[in-house]
Amino acid sequence: MIGLAGIVLAPLLPGAVQMLKARLQGRRGASALQPYRALRRLWGKSTVDPEGTGAVYRTAPALVAACLALALAIVPLTAHSGWSPLGRDALVLMGLLALARFAAAAAAWDTNNGFALMGAARELMLAVFGEALLVLALLLAALPAHSTDLAAMTAAAAGAGPWSEPAHWCGALAFALVILVETGRQPVDNPDTHLELTMIHEGPLLEYAGRDLAYLQWAAAARHWVVLVLGAELFLPHWGGFGASLALLAGGVAALCAALALVETAQAKMRILRVPALLAVGGAAALAGVVSWIAGT
Amino acid sequence: MGVIALAGAAIVAAGAALSVWSARGGLALQAVGIALLGVAGAAVLISGDVLGSAFSAEISPAFGLDPLSGFFLALLAVTAIPALVFAHAYLRTSAAPIAALGGAFLLALAGVVTARDVSTFLAAWELMTLLPAAAILVARRDAPVRSAVQVYLAITHVGGAGVWIAMLALAGGGPAALIAVAALIGFGTKAGLVPLHSWLPRAHPVAPAHLSALMSGMMIKVALYGLIRVELEWLGATPGWLGYALLALGLLSSLGGVLWALVQHELKRLLAYHSIENVGIVVLGLGASLVLARTGQATWSAIAFGAALLHIANHALFKVLLFLGAGAFERAAGALELDRMGGLLRRMPWTGGAFLVGAMAIAGLPPLNGFASEWLTLQSLLHVALDRPLGAAIAGAIALAGLAATAALALLCFVKVVGLVLLGPPRTDRAAAATEVAPAMRAGMVALAALCVIAGLVPGLLLPELARLAPGGATLTRHPGLDLPGTGSLPTLAVAAALVALTGALVRARGARKAAPAPTWTCGQPVTPALNWTSAGFTKPLRLVLESVLRPERELEVVRDAGLVREIRYSAHVPSLVDRHLLDPAVRAGLRGAALARRLQTGNVRTYAAYLLALVIGLLALARTGALG
Repeated sequence: MIGLAGIVLAPLLPGAVQMLKARLQGRRGASALQPYRALRRLWGKSTVDPEGTGAVYRTAPALVAACLALALAIVPLTAHSGWSPLGRDALVLMGLLALARFAAAAAAWDTNNGFALMGAARELMLAVFGEALLVLALLLAALPAHSTDLAAMTAAAAGAGPWSEPAHWCGALAFALVILVETGRQPVDNPDTHLELTMIHEGPLLEYAGRDLAYLQWAAAARHWVVLVLGAELFLPHWGGFGASLALLAGGVAALCAALALVETAQAKMRILRVPALLAVGGAAALAGVVSWIAGT
Repeated sequence: MGVIALAGAAIVAAGAALSVWSARGGLALQAVGIALLGVAGAAVLISGDVLGSAFSAEISPAFGLDPLSGFFLALLAVTAIPALVFAHAYLRTSAAPIAALGGAFLLALAGVVTARDVSTFLAAWELMTLLPAAAILVARRDAPVRSAVQVYLAITHVGGAGVWIAMLALAGGGPAALIAVAALIGFGTKAGLVPLHSWLPRAHPVAPAHLSALMSGMMIKVALYGLIRVELEWLGATPGWLGYALLALGLLSSLGGVLWALVQHELKRLLAYHSIENVGIVVLGLGASLVLARTGQATWSAIAFGAALLHIANHALFKVLLFLGAGAFERAAGALELDRMGGLLRRMPWTGGAFLVGAMAIAGLPPLNGFASEWLTLQSLLHVALDRPLGAAIAGAIALAGLAATAALALLCFVKVVGLVLLGPPRTDRAAAATEVAPAMRAGMVALAALCVIAGLVPGLLLPELARLAPGGATLTRHPGLDLPGTGSLPTLAVAAALVALTGALVRARGARKAAPAPTWTCGQPVTPALNWTSAGFTKPLRLVLESVLRPERELEVVRDAGLVREIRYSAHVPSLVDRHLLDPAVRAGLRGAALARRLQTGNVRTYAAYLLALVIGLLALARTGALG
């Protein structure tokens, strides 16, 4: 049951990043609870179906949110979170994220909105490199556990042992880049932009309003939850029983939020065509990690 | 079971003959016969019996049926019956010869997978190559089609020489390395592995829809059957390099196929390139299986083999579906160019819905069948990368990243196809007036879409049967989902049920309350057709990023009149690098060689007499020295 905490807590993460970013930039900013207020406001508004759209446009937000909810159920909270009816496989998680991307991009085609399609095309292009990097980062995390079971991978990453392995550091670097791509944060994408021409993740959301938009914004927050929790579990220090590792997980996620805010404050958005080169650096590091692990065992 | 199979084959033959008089009756009879063949195949697959002869090097014809042949026969039936039902309503012009040739083509396919001696195998193999070429030429005779068929026959015969060499060397007890290389080239050409694929995107799109479907769905699968049979079984000891060679070819084919598919703007051509991609995924699974067998992981080796066979089955299902859908759209909207369709999901809900299922399945999305087999292949490659030796681990990691990128590229490509064909506004008047196709055509596609869903829900029922066929066969427990050691398990039924239930609940919670309809936001401009996105536009970011790989070519022509720019013409295309750097030089070298050889033919009788005399003297000299034995 605790695995479903993410459904409620996920909007806190982008809220916390925005709050920390405002503080770092010397502004007061909104509170970390602002995403909840936005969701409540959207829930009360009516939806808009642009002329000519059909069932794909209307179902897509629900499907995207459902995919992310399933992903939340698959991601374990600490190594002690037990059995899930949906399994705990890392690659199933990738499939669900891909289905969410498909639904959002197909909805963009249904609206025939050039800006939505521009965002969708860019997002899917980045996903090509992002998926390759993600699978390599997951491979590095799977090496000690010899399994793609996320709970086993979390257990294998516990304690001080992994930190003496170069493979762990390589994996952490690769996964950090994956976090930037999946959460749509600078330098890959700018979540604060409202200029149609520069939007990536926000692009396919352009036509939506009301509860549809609430689903999609919740899904964006849930994507933060999935990658930040995984990042903290697989690549940040944690040990001990359920209580201790839960507390360390919360600390790790908070640290990652602070890191995202810091990167977003210090780093300007990158030219989109340069991003694949950045991700390729992560891929090379991941392959080096595989070599060092296999040669060392 | 042998009797049923023979009866089935006889009925298919009778159906092919009957087609000459009555195309529709012939097609129905062919469907009955192929169903019997499929039943026999499925029964053999489940029971594990071996009927008929084993492999022999004799000249006398020998046929046999074992679980591997049974799997391919059952798959042939499952895909051919919907295709025949579709053809029943689809075929209009020259229906009789096409139906007859199609029936013979089915028999040839069944012949290849049941042949147990070299001569029968080669005979069925050649018929399988020639019959669709004949059917294409019956259907259409314009110059581009003739040229496509010529390229098809030329490349598959030059490459197909590899099959002849491999089979004859096998019969004569030739060296194993020669057989392995020759079989890889021969069967690889027919399966469409990069860089031997150039014929495939030319030949598959020009055939009538149901034959395109069977060529892409079954013919290249039968080539993979040949590869598996010869390399993994008849060869005896499989050479150690083969696993790595298959991984490299599989990676090249999957990435190359999908990248070239992305830059195609014609639906059937795009689907043909995706066949190359999917053959690549199958070959990655086979390569992983061989490497895992050598590193001593018998269970995962068998799972990887099962993953490859499962992907063969899944790809046959959704590729036949997609080609039939393309035929239906061509009939309804009058075009195959992606930019000339649009909005067909609303105009053709049955065809469009089935096509959407097929597109999502080939893009590897849960909970459909493509995801199950791609997940298994990814897991197999990941398990190659988990263990020593270092070379295997690096190869596995690179292939793993490549397959993940392939899946994401396929997603990008099929979002584009779905968006341009099914969604948005109609792009032409023909597309705006499109109507749903005949019920028989719909039935074939809907049945295949249902099979894609079912195969995605219960892949775990089939996987143990397929993993058992691996050379080092393993026994897996049978339950609907995929619960394998070393994974977090994929409970397909639970994932699908949760996805459907949750999406339904969220759609209900969304309610139907909505504001007045609004036009799409275009910064306040009126929405005009000129603002429609195109196939080329959607893939532009990727083309820019991969410019060094794809080498797109652009032409910009500015028409000036008295110093004023009147018109700017812009055209861009992505050339096929394999055609340019491999095929074209090979063709030029071949033509030069032919020109040299032609000098021997002077037309002068005395020269020919001199040749004969030289030959006789040469033979006599050889006989004298004892070189002829």
